[in-house]
Amino acid sequence: MFKIKHFIEQSWLLIVASFCFGLLIATANTAWSPRIEQNKITKINNLMGGLLPKAEKFELAAELQIESAKGKKIKSNVYKALAEGRCLGWAFNCEGPGFADKIELIVSVDKDFGNFAGYAVLASNETPGFGDKIKLPYYRQQFAGAPAGKLELAKTGDAGKIDSEIVAISGATVSSEAVIKIINNSAAQVKKQMREKGLISNGK
Amino acid sequence: MANKAQTTSTLYKQTLLAGLWRENPVFRLLLGMCPTLAVTAAVKPALTMGLSVIFVLLCSNIVVSLMRNLLKAHLRILMFTLTIATFVTIADLFLKAFVPRMSEMLGPYVPLIIVNCIIICRAEACASKNNLLVSTIDALGMGVGFTLTLCVLAGVREVLSTGAIWEIKVLPAWFVPWAAMSMPAGAFITLGLLLGLVNVISKKRT
Amino acid sequence: MDTLNILLMAFISIVLINNLVLTKFLGICPYLGVSGRIDMAFGMGMAVTFVVTLSGTMTWMIDHWILMPIGLEVTRYVCFILVIAGAVQLVEMYIRKFFPSLYESFGIFLPLITTNCAILGLCLFINLWGIDNLLEAVVLSFGAGIGFTMAICIMAGIRENLNMADVPRCLKGAPITLITAGLLTLAFMGFAGMIK
Repeated sequence: MFKIKHFIEQSWLLIVASFCFGLLIATANTAWSPRIEQNKITKINNLMGGLLPKAEKFELAAELQIESAKGKKIKSNVYKALAEGRCLGWAFNCEGPGFADKIELIVSVDKDFGNFAGYAVLASNETPGFGDKIKLPYYRQQFAGAPAGKLELAKTGDAGKIDSEIVAISGATVSSEAVIKIINNSAAQVKKQMREKGLISNGK
Repeated sequence: MANKAQTTSTLYKQTLLAGLWRENPVFRLLLGMCPTLAVTAAVKPALTMGLSVIFVLLCSNIVVSLMRNLLKAHLRILMFTLTIATFVTIADLFLKAFVPRMSEMLGPYVPLIIVNCIIICRAEACASKNNLLVSTIDALGMGVGFTLTLCVLAGVREVLSTGAIWEIKVLPAWFVPWAAMSMPAGAFITLGLLLGLVNVISKKRT
Repeated sequence: MDTLNILLMAFISIVLINNLVLTKFLGICPYLGVSGRIDMAFGMGMAVTFVVTLSGTMTWMIDHWILMPIGLEVTRYVCFILVIAGAVQLVEMYIRKFFPSLYESFGIFLPLITTNCAILGLCLFINLWGIDNLLEAVVLSFGAGIGFTMAICIMAGIRENLNMADVPRCLKGAPITLITAGLLTLAFMGFAGMIK
């Protein structure tokens, strides 16, 4: 009994303070967490809107589990792009190892998963001025219209020609290759799983 | 009576200015190095970090100063840590809600404000021993000093690495940017050289 | 075999490529303060390795087994720092009682380590990187400590030699250490991209 009294005497401030602080944090959290969630959704919507500009809204079509090149399990959300009720295309997120840390992308394809519509960088830590150029239109527009099969990296070539050959960014070969690997790897898995789910036809 | 008022106001003025130069947390006391190097790649994140630190410093100094007579000696540091952690959590939630892009850029360095030596040192050295007004002024002085330092360092690094400050181009087109400045190596070297410069200026004054 | 591969890659990545001190700017304060002599640097490094392995593991466990299932992630920072402070206290008491000789060699650094950004920073990074198995968290924490020890010992070696060199007076002490650290970081950048 005496021990408990002594304990409380010593630490009553700690207990009261913890309670008050807990209350403060809880208030701030309840007040702001809807906003935080909204921010995340807005960001993804903005990126997808940039890739498929004609789309009016995006609907979550499926939540798939794919594996990155390193064998890490990633949750990929597949969004259906709709305009006037018709499907314009699909967008999904994927990630993989880059030169520095990991690169997270949103990749969009046309409605039959035949051609890529492009990609946008969600998060990356590549070298500024070099690997960072994967965010720039110069590299990204080579993917718009490229066939959704296996893309290959070429050191030199015609960047204007849209085919499965992608010209690397000079001085950033590893980052360029990383993007291609991520897209190749995830697109193949997402395509397969979407076919299994019947979201896209199994046509040849 | 007049004398006491005079000494108190000079005390306030001195406390405020101390944080800006004489006891500048980064350049003279060598505290808070970790965020200094990490967020100063550009001026915008540096300013955001500085303002967050001012907020946390103010709140924690105020709360600690209010509690100072109730603190038990051996639980002191725990109380400080708890206070600081709470306000950093609130600041982090605020940033995530209202400036998500900045929050992403700053990443894990916002919660690292908890272990930022500046805040816990000021709580220990000043807030727990002085009244509310002095603690507040001290927090303001240190916080503003820290923010200004961060902005100076960020300004140098941003200008040299992208030719722009706050994303407004200031250097002419022929300037080839030094990519190294935006990378960790550039951070260390810039801070080292700036510290050397501050030492030179201080020696000249004394 | 695959798991072993992943673990080895994680270890190498955090020691060489994502070294906490040189690329993530964590642990600078003790880095500047204690890297004067190699024996002190090594002691500090060992203390940090010990604490960071323990904290990294414990915070991962608390985060994944208690906070996330209950949904109390918002209290993450408070919990982490309290766990770290508590862990350091326990470790110090334990070592002082049972291994007094060990305490002589690195015990004095232990209280300093609580506010060491490296520990909290590592726990937060493990959270940020979405590490989802315990073994990988343990390996990363241990690797982080080893990386810190390595960086601080290299720096101590260089500083011992710098003492005999002719450094300009305004650069003596912290400035030249920072510049050296910058050059070290540049050197370590050579390791980037090592792991595909």
